[in-house]
Amino acid sequence: MVAAETGRTVIDELHERFPNIELTEQTTADGMPTLWVDRAHVRSLLSYLKSDAPSPYSMLFDLTAIDERARRTPASQPDADFTVVYQLLSLERNSDIRLKIPLQGEYPSIGSITDLWPNANWYEREIWDMFGINVEGHPFLRRILLPPNWVGHPLRKEYPARATDLPPYTLPEEKQREDEAEYQFDPEEYGLARSGEDTDFLFLNFGPHHPGTHGLLRLILQLDGEQIVNSVADIGWHHRAAEKMAERQTFHTYIPYTDRVDYLAGLLNEVPYVLSIEKLAGIEIPLRAQYIRVMLSELWRIANHLVWFGTFGSDVGALTPVFFTFNDRERIFDIMEAICGFRMHPGWFRIGGVASDLPNGWKGLIDGFLDYFPKRIEEFDKVLAKNSIFRNRTIGVGAYTPQSAIEWGVTGPNLRATGIDWDLRKKRPYSSYDHFDFVVPTATEGDCYARTVVRLEEMRQSLRIVKQAAENMPAGSYKSSSRFAMPPRKEETMVAIETLINHFLSVSWGQPIPPGEAMIPTEGAKGNYGYYVISDGSNYAYRCHIRTASFPHIQSIPMLARGLLISDLIAILGSIDYVLADVDR
Amino acid sequence: MVFGHREYQSTTAPLLRSKPEGPQNVIVAKLQDLISWSRKSSIWPFGFGTSCCFVEFSAAFTSEYDIARFGSEVIRGTPRESDLIVIAGTVFVKVAPVIKQLYDQLMAPRWVISMGSCANSGGMYDVYSVVQGVDRFLPVDLYIPGCPPRPDAVLEGLLLLRNAVGSERRPLSWVVGEHGITRPEMPVMRDLKRPMRQAMTEIRPQDEV
Repeated sequence: MVAAETGRTVIDELHERFPNIELTEQTTADGMPTLWVDRAHVRSLLSYLKSDAPSPYSMLFDLTAIDERARRTPASQPDADFTVVYQLLSLERNSDIRLKIPLQGEYPSIGSITDLWPNANWYEREIWDMFGINVEGHPFLRRILLPPNWVGHPLRKEYPARATDLPPYTLPEEKQREDEAEYQFDPEEYGLARSGEDTDFLFLNFGPHHPGTHGLLRLILQLDGEQIVNSVADIGWHHRAAEKMAERQTFHTYIPYTDRVDYLAGLLNEVPYVLSIEKLAGIEIPLRAQYIRVMLSELWRIANHLVWFGTFGSDVGALTPVFFTFNDRERIFDIMEAICGFRMHPGWFRIGGVASDLPNGWKGLIDGFLDYFPKRIEEFDKVLAKNSIFRNRTIGVGAYTPQSAIEWGVTGPNLRATGIDWDLRKKRPYSSYDHFDFVVPTATEGDCYARTVVRLEEMRQSLRIVKQAAENMPAGSYKSSSRFAMPPRKEETMVAIETLINHFLSVSWGQPIPPGEAMIPTEGAKGNYGYYVISDGSNYAYRCHIRTASFPHIQSIPMLARGLLISDLIAILGSIDYVLADVDR
Repeated sequence: MVFGHREYQSTTAPLLRSKPEGPQNVIVAKLQDLISWSRKSSIWPFGFGTSCCFVEFSAAFTSEYDIARFGSEVIRGTPRESDLIVIAGTVFVKVAPVIKQLYDQLMAPRWVISMGSCANSGGMYDVYSVVQGVDRFLPVDLYIPGCPPRPDAVLEGLLLLRNAVGSERRPLSWVVGEHGITRPEMPVMRDLKRPMRQAMTEIRPQDEV
């Protein structure tokens, strides 16, 4: 394992560089170098790792917290009531590092790192909102996912999860007026001036309900004429509490919730989740199951890009593509329905494999699609990508530079459009992606048009992978025989009472997963995804944090839109490819 | 039902007849029927959705399903021009006041379809940030089950709503006769479909496509 070796060197490096700082190493199931550091030293470590280390860890990949107060079995780790977790990524080393900071007390504090990484801003607001952890020195510490007048911090263990445990929701007129007053935008609060040198700014409320925002997203634009002087993104309108949900669903029954995180990419969401659990439980996946996963995942990548392509087209005024792409998406759904029995959220991957073997005749369906689709991509290329109006709207608009993309935690096609060939399918081949021959498409400009070109090419490459997977589909089992695999094996239950008891328990209560923590980042349709799953040996996760791609992408939109026109903002939103369930989880 | 002291007949039957002996470009109909017919044939939805369901709702507008066959392809960008709001997706506590505001801006006559498990009852998300059913604060005319419902189900729901709108009675005058709106009772599809479902004995096996 290359990654594990580089992990070792970074720990040695830190010991050497900071001999006086106590660094406690933790062994995790995913093999990611994990260090416990006192909060007094975290800043110097982070700043070293970001700027001074050789091949630096320049991306803040994830930042989250854990409420440690309710562990059923004490973990072998420093004493803490809350833990804040920083996860950094070095693209040059292809390696991560995780720093964990133990915090004591009911409502502890930690220092802000927004000056090191701009994308820490929202992550830190999130840990304040969800855990009540105070972030000292944060420029704008306000609730981010929940309404401003919310009481309590939901990811704390004492907070009730169920709506049915809380008083029933009602919306009398005075409450509606109160809520709306809370949502009123006050420019001073956000540090936005009401007037410039010789002009009064107009503040335009764009969303939360607007066709151009693809869902519930609110942008507040500070306008000088039609030019966006500055903007503020207000999220949390789609907070479905997927992380709290994981703390009460069994590992197995949480799978359908993962589908609904990036709801345009169905099965692609399940991959990082089941991979993390399989890592924790030490399950080996049969090759056939891996190939099935790859084949269906790539079909989902195409399905996702189809919706993105169609809606992006209609955003910038081309109404035809959406009819083209939705029809082709139906073809993918026909295959999904035949294989998985469901259209949008199949819930079909399992811990240890997939739900059932491929049905008879699956190959014909796939072949039919492989025959049909390539010429359609060419048509998409002609109808939109080569269209001069479209090119005028997108070329040179909303460009990331490679540096700004990394600073803001941008991944996936949006990062590859800046020329960085960061694709986890190539860099860290999971599910035997190393068996497949495909190219990672990149572009150099980083603008809306580059993102379009990259995604179109990705569809072609995904098609190649689907073809190879279908042609070389290995024989064998579709599910691991490990005792942790779900649902448990049925064959021996009717002959041995012990097996019957085990079967009954793991079906009804859920299969306990060995204690530990793991996150296996994967390449989703919109960028890098990871489920940071912590088990304390029970049948459901102690904590499950979801690293999604869209959260940092949306955070960077005000940076991209600065100085442009509203019509450019629409093109940026369309080209980024996000889903609000993915932003707010 | 009784309207304007006259017996009024059922509603979904064809309303417009041209007199066989008269000129073919003249139609004779009760004003009441004419209005109901035009209402039910052009239910314009408000372009609104919150989550996954909205994608399936949009799919119903594309050529594979073609909602235009039923006169509802005209998505409006503002509630003031729409007749129907489809709550397509999860209703969050944070967004509920916004939905209420949008609903209040719809001009009467207006209808509400609750699409998908989340909007119907909270569905999979019995969790602190989700309102357990949009009917907690909006009057819902029709529920479409599913997570998310297929576009076919959206069309079925729309057809049921069309029937209901066609047989709804909104008196043109409130001087005489009954006051207020008379709505037909909505059918319970579970009961209506039960015999058909019970009669089904052959289901496609899982290992065939």
